[in-house]
Amino acid sequence: MSQVQTPQAVASGVLAAKPSAGARRYKFRKAITPYSFLLPYFLVTFVFFLYPLLYATILSFHMTSGPGVRRFVGLDNFAFVLADPDFHRALYNTAFFAVCSLLIQLPLSFGLAMLLNSGKSRLKGFFRLAIFAPNLVGQVFVAILFTMLFTPRYGLFNRIVHILTGFGLEQRWLTDPRWVMPAVVIAALWLYVGFNMIYFLAALQNVSRDLVEAAWIDGAGPWGVFWNVTRPAVTPVATFVVVVSSIGSFQLFELPYVLLQGYGPKNSGLTIVGYLYSNAFENGDLGTAAAVGWLLTLIILTISLIQIKLSGTMENDG
Amino acid sequence: MNFPYGQAPLAILILALIAGAVVGYDALLRQSGPQPDLVFATFVKEHADAYVPVIEQFEKDHDVRIQIQVVEQRALQSRLQAALQVGADVPDMVELMYDTLGVFTKGPIEEVRFVDLTKRVNDTGLIDNVVTSRFGKWTDRGHIFALPHDLHPVMLAYRRDLVEELGIDVDKLTTWDEFARVGREVATKDLNGDGVPDRYMINLPIQGGDALRLLLLQRGGQLFDEQGDIAFDDERTVEVFLWYLKQVQGQDRIAFDAGWGQNLARSMLDGLCLFYMCPDWRTRQFQMDVPQLEGKMALMPLPAWEEGGSRTSTWGGTGLAITEQCKDVELAWELAMHLYFNRKEQGRRFEQTQIISPLRSAWNEPSFDKPNPYFSDQRIGRMYADLAPQVPEEQSNAYMKMAVNRLSEAFANVSLYHREHGEVGLREYTEKEIKRVADRTREVMARNIFLQVDTGESDQEGGGS
Repeated sequence: MSQVQTPQAVASGVLAAKPSAGARRYKFRKAITPYSFLLPYFLVTFVFFLYPLLYATILSFHMTSGPGVRRFVGLDNFAFVLADPDFHRALYNTAFFAVCSLLIQLPLSFGLAMLLNSGKSRLKGFFRLAIFAPNLVGQVFVAILFTMLFTPRYGLFNRIVHILTGFGLEQRWLTDPRWVMPAVVIAALWLYVGFNMIYFLAALQNVSRDLVEAAWIDGAGPWGVFWNVTRPAVTPVATFVVVVSSIGSFQLFELPYVLLQGYGPKNSGLTIVGYLYSNAFENGDLGTAAAVGWLLTLIILTISLIQIKLSGTMENDG
Repeated sequence: MNFPYGQAPLAILILALIAGAVVGYDALLRQSGPQPDLVFATFVKEHADAYVPVIEQFEKDHDVRIQIQVVEQRALQSRLQAALQVGADVPDMVELMYDTLGVFTKGPIEEVRFVDLTKRVNDTGLIDNVVTSRFGKWTDRGHIFALPHDLHPVMLAYRRDLVEELGIDVDKLTTWDEFARVGREVATKDLNGDGVPDRYMINLPIQGGDALRLLLLQRGGQLFDEQGDIAFDDERTVEVFLWYLKQVQGQDRIAFDAGWGQNLARSMLDGLCLFYMCPDWRTRQFQMDVPQLEGKMALMPLPAWEEGGSRTSTWGGTGLAITEQCKDVELAWELAMHLYFNRKEQGRRFEQTQIISPLRSAWNEPSFDKPNPYFSDQRIGRMYADLAPQVPEEQSNAYMKMAVNRLSEAFANVSLYHREHGEVGLREYTEKEIKRVADRTREVMARNIFLQVDTGESDQEGGGS
């Protein structure tokens, strides 16, 4: 059977054999289009993430005097940091803050969210805003505010404590090494409780009413409803809040730095990022600061992985 | 208009383009406008205000344009540090706060990005006309990198009305021990019987800080010696620690930690504290903070550590450095000399700032003999100037800030020990603690390979020339 060759078939055959310049341009454009969409992302990632990461790695193996002068010292920066009592102090302070965040701040946030989620008061919106509001003003403002509140004898905080307990009028929150971190935790509570409460509130509002009602009908008490219905529903959000809070806690810097006008007596308010800042921008030793940065990354990564593993969120999602 | 990625990205894109155009246009305008011949950055607004008339005259006389920038101290330091190291634009002249020179001199001496002023200072005879010891704060490894703006002698300011009411004769408070005795026996009292004292002899920070340091200097101690080695682990520091501790802590304390600014002002206004450490720069500040105390305040020299000993110390300081990138070093030097070492100008400026110049001849200006109504008509300029020759020297060091922090750490530990164990073994613990922090600082200093003699092997990087 003979084949009939239409003009279109002939033309397409010719095109297939030898594409025109326009077709080649079209093909090329089609091929690179996805990459051109991705290019801005890759550029930003390279300039602001990969290059600094690579450069920080190189720096961490050098002794520096500002960015201008450096000399290779191998692992000396890491060895110095790991043996430095100031780093140990910073690690302890940061861990103390992180633990307080998890054990005081988050339960308080969750409790407030439960309270605001339970009633039908018209003041709910007002309280939600009032509790969240401190977060709008930022760490520096809160730190300055608490510097005044914690002033011995004249500070509002000390005066209230004195009225309630008869003690504490001259309590030196910011100059007594034993009270510095508790003071930072108190200031942070005011700042972050409302912020985390919003996450919990959103999660609680998404708990299925049908499931709750079904549980009530099945005879579950308040605890049973909470444990079997509410808790599983808010677990993914709770995990998110725990991980983000832990990461935030390990990045703590501005609040104690402004509150204490530095790192506090005996470095009692020194955090890991404060230690990094001090090395980089006060001592001009970028190499040691880069080593601290890497250690901080490892710490945060490890803790986050442990938390995600323990909460079982990944398994549930998978 | 049909934008393929939706309206929101289009709006963001348009906003970004408009913002970019505005920023670019502004930058172009700045570039095309007349450029100043010198840019001068300072962190003290009062200094800038005082310089304005002088600079205006200087501009007329030299047909040049000088721009003054006031930048917050920490911002100025960190931006300058980063910009100097990478060769970015920096001011031609910059005022530095005491203890911050070291931040710029941690590397090899040839990498310090300020003009070495040593030869100029010697050639112009400045070294003979200025209180020489004051250059110590601005010298590193024998090189002078900044000019001293001030001397900052310290006296005690006090509530004259209350002190007189209590029958305290300040002329008899000639030693710190006598001061403490009077403070304990006469001044520090619980007036309303609630168990908390309502009046203290003096305001002193409980953690030591600058007060401890100035007392150490008055005692003849130093943080660093001329060779740049740690020098504070000696008997003088132990003595100062033990004396200070007794005044700020325990049953016999005479000091209240009123802090700074409005808190200190309030505590003086309320009569909670009778005395406070008052370097020259603090007189003006306090007058502005508490105008209600006009005529009720007075100044007296610091009590000495021993009868006949030094009656002052020093607290703070500013220095003027010329950056290596300066467009016209000769012009900058001339302006610096005019601002800092013009006798008449220093006399006029004392009226405005009440800061004592390190230029000796300036102390003979009439403004130094003017009675000050705030301080009970005392001639405070003359009082400070009379003490000026006794101002102790202090050496600059790249690790000054660290040494100060370590010393505070040692004091905090000694305080804790005292709270837990009282006087038992306190001296031995204090000696041990001071030695520990000194050794720790030495260890960190020893890590700095750039401060060692051979600096030739370092890899050079960055834009700085």
